[in-house]
Amino acid sequence: MATFIDGFLWYFALAVFVIGVSGNLVTIILASRKVDLSVPRDSAFSGALRTLFSRFLPDQHMLSRIGIQVVAGYMFHLGLFILLFFAAPHVAFLEENILGFGWTAAPHWLFIVASQFAFLGIIMLWLYRMTNSVSRLISKLDDHVATILTFLVMLSGCLALLESFETLRLLHRFLVELLLIYFPFSRLMHAFTFVPSRLFTGAWFGRRGVDS
Amino acid sequence: MARMKFYCDAERCIECNACVTACKNEHEIPWGVNRRRVVTIKDGQQGERSLSVACMHCSDAPCAAVCPVDCFYTTDDGVVLHDKDICIGCGYCFYACPFGAPQFPENAAFSSRGKMDKCTFCAGGPEDDHSSDEYKKYGRNRLAEGKLPLCAEMCSTKALLAGDANMLSDIYRKRIINRGASVLNWGVNYDKVKLNT
Amino acid sequence: MLKQNMVSPVGDILKFLSILMLLVITVISQPTFAAVEGEPEGVIMKNPGADLWREVRQRNIAIEGISQIKSVDSGILINPEADRWTRFRVDQLVNYAAIILAGLALLLLVFYLLRGKIKVEGGLSRQMLHRFSDYERVLHWTLAIVFLFLAITGLTLLLGRTFLIPLFGQEFFSLLASSSKEGHNLFGPIFFASLIMMILRFVKRNIYEKGDLTWLVKGGGIIGKSHVSGGFFNMGEKTWYWIVILIGLLISVSGLILVSPNFGQGRVIMELSHIVHVISAIILIAVSFGHMYLGSVGTEGALESMKTGYVDVNWAESHHDRWAKECRDNNRVISADKFNRLQGKINSGTEESGSVAVEGNK
Repeated sequence: MATFIDGFLWYFALAVFVIGVSGNLVTIILASRKVDLSVPRDSAFSGALRTLFSRFLPDQHMLSRIGIQVVAGYMFHLGLFILLFFAAPHVAFLEENILGFGWTAAPHWLFIVASQFAFLGIIMLWLYRMTNSVSRLISKLDDHVATILTFLVMLSGCLALLESFETLRLLHRFLVELLLIYFPFSRLMHAFTFVPSRLFTGAWFGRRGVDS
Repeated sequence: MARMKFYCDAERCIECNACVTACKNEHEIPWGVNRRRVVTIKDGQQGERSLSVACMHCSDAPCAAVCPVDCFYTTDDGVVLHDKDICIGCGYCFYACPFGAPQFPENAAFSSRGKMDKCTFCAGGPEDDHSSDEYKKYGRNRLAEGKLPLCAEMCSTKALLAGDANMLSDIYRKRIINRGASVLNWGVNYDKVKLNT
Repeated sequence: MLKQNMVSPVGDILKFLSILMLLVITVISQPTFAAVEGEPEGVIMKNPGADLWREVRQRNIAIEGISQIKSVDSGILINPEADRWTRFRVDQLVNYAAIILAGLALLLLVFYLLRGKIKVEGGLSRQMLHRFSDYERVLHWTLAIVFLFLAITGLTLLLGRTFLIPLFGQEFFSLLASSSKEGHNLFGPIFFASLIMMILRFVKRNIYEKGDLTWLVKGGGIIGKSHVSGGFFNMGEKTWYWIVILIGLLISVSGLILVSPNFGQGRVIMELSHIVHVISAIILIAVSFGHMYLGSVGTEGALESMKTGYVDVNWAESHHDRWAKECRDNNRVISADKFNRLQGKINSGTEESGSVAVEGNK
């Protein structure tokens, strides 16, 4: 079991993830779209860049209407980002197994606080999805599976924090592998597609001289 | 079977902290963990005394009583040991121990404590004697080599004694007799009092 | 210091002393010592035994020496609280916690069998009232999920050695306990955060007011069939709220002291925190049994308010009549059809299956 999770399944999951994600991105980028023949009013390039970064900030009009989602959303995504890329065990894993180089990990307390924010965020977001009737109606099975799978990955990681039980480490890794396999076929792809999406929208607006 | 005990003679301890250093070195204990420490009472005042203290290897150990995963066990020699594979680092033994013997490696904010570490009476752990696993987790197993704990063996004033309880009390009894403690007036040293005149 | 006075510098006076000892009149002996002051003096050195061990161990307080090992409490040789804490945990806590929780669960079961589900008076109407917003429901369920997780992991650590080790064996239980401990430590502050949000959101509606005493006198309508008066929250709900907030704060603060052992708090503070933490947690879990019972199988229609945010008008009438009246006066009653549409149940058809009860049970 351990050799399967650490060996075959890991490489399989990684292959599915890399091929799936790059395949999706290539499809999106190469998709044919209508050529805009109008005279550009402004630079499409600067518009694309501006939008890519300006969309990281919350929209004022949305904030007042869906405050929980905005606040919990930021909590979840920022927390997840920190704990995913700056937790000491994650940095060590990436250095040893994938990248070959590492970076300074966050101190333990920051890792813990970040994961607490992420946990609170994901719980509230999923509950909002379930309690708000509109959110509930527009949610597909994919949304629930993605949320619960992400939550389980985080939870198993949290339970394995002592880093001393092989079974707990394997459970965490197994769930990560399931997530990696599921990733390219789900809305989790937004972790990558937000970039071309914003760039495209930004370029389109920029070309028309819309300051967005 | 022998009943292993430590005894620290307060009249002899000179607070050199060599037992602490020897212990750290022998077992390669990580930074921040001290299985043994020397405490000085009335420092700088009359009646200043020092005592070297570590796990007392209690007969009815409170740490073992409160451990939520029941990881403590007592060897045939009366040494209280714990299994680090079972330990979850909850810190209850630290609350239960009157002597402050259990130590925890990590102490950062919101950190979970690592697995507990404490004096093993140089008797290793549940792993095979002299295995590298045992050495990594618990330090050297001197008892299995037929040696006593290093802290006591290298104590320069022989203040810290370790070994079978009966032998220790014999040694200490002889010391007391030679020191001339009296029952006539408890608290008085009659050393300079000429007897039989 | 007393002893120093009793024994003055003496040399060759052993005979004298033995005679005096035989006489056992210390008071008289004092001036006698002064009389032989001229004799050759010995060096006075108190036997350190008595004073030393007095310094090492006191019955009630821990005395602190100094140590080259600089860590919290390293100067304390013997901490007398440790033994009391151990006795509390081993002899009382584990047994009583198990008995209280198991007994209470049994009691609720018996109560349910005797009393059954408390029905809404006059059955369910086809009219609904909006009771809890999305945020309030999200908040409630967040706190509930985190609380349940903490209760389960906490009880695993507390009762596992007695009940789970015989079941799973030591090694698997150790894995379980380790995950419980890590999960408990990480989710604790999340509970605190949710609790703060809970305070901010609900405190206004939970301040006791005039009619609440009548509610208490009538036993909240649980016993007997009399009609009890209540506002947005009735007396029982308000009390539950304040139990959650006050005991929850106690749990959170003591838990934070325990979870971050690096702010210089000594063992005694942590032992006290642990006792506070565990006693208040047992109380909160026990009371939450009641809340979970009343909120689900105990009372008809109560769960709906936290599921959909809407309640039946008749339910509101029987549990919160003053609030129901206020809603009626302000025309806030909506029809079951509109409620179904708001819940997105347009397809089920409003004409054929109009009953809210059928919809609600989905």
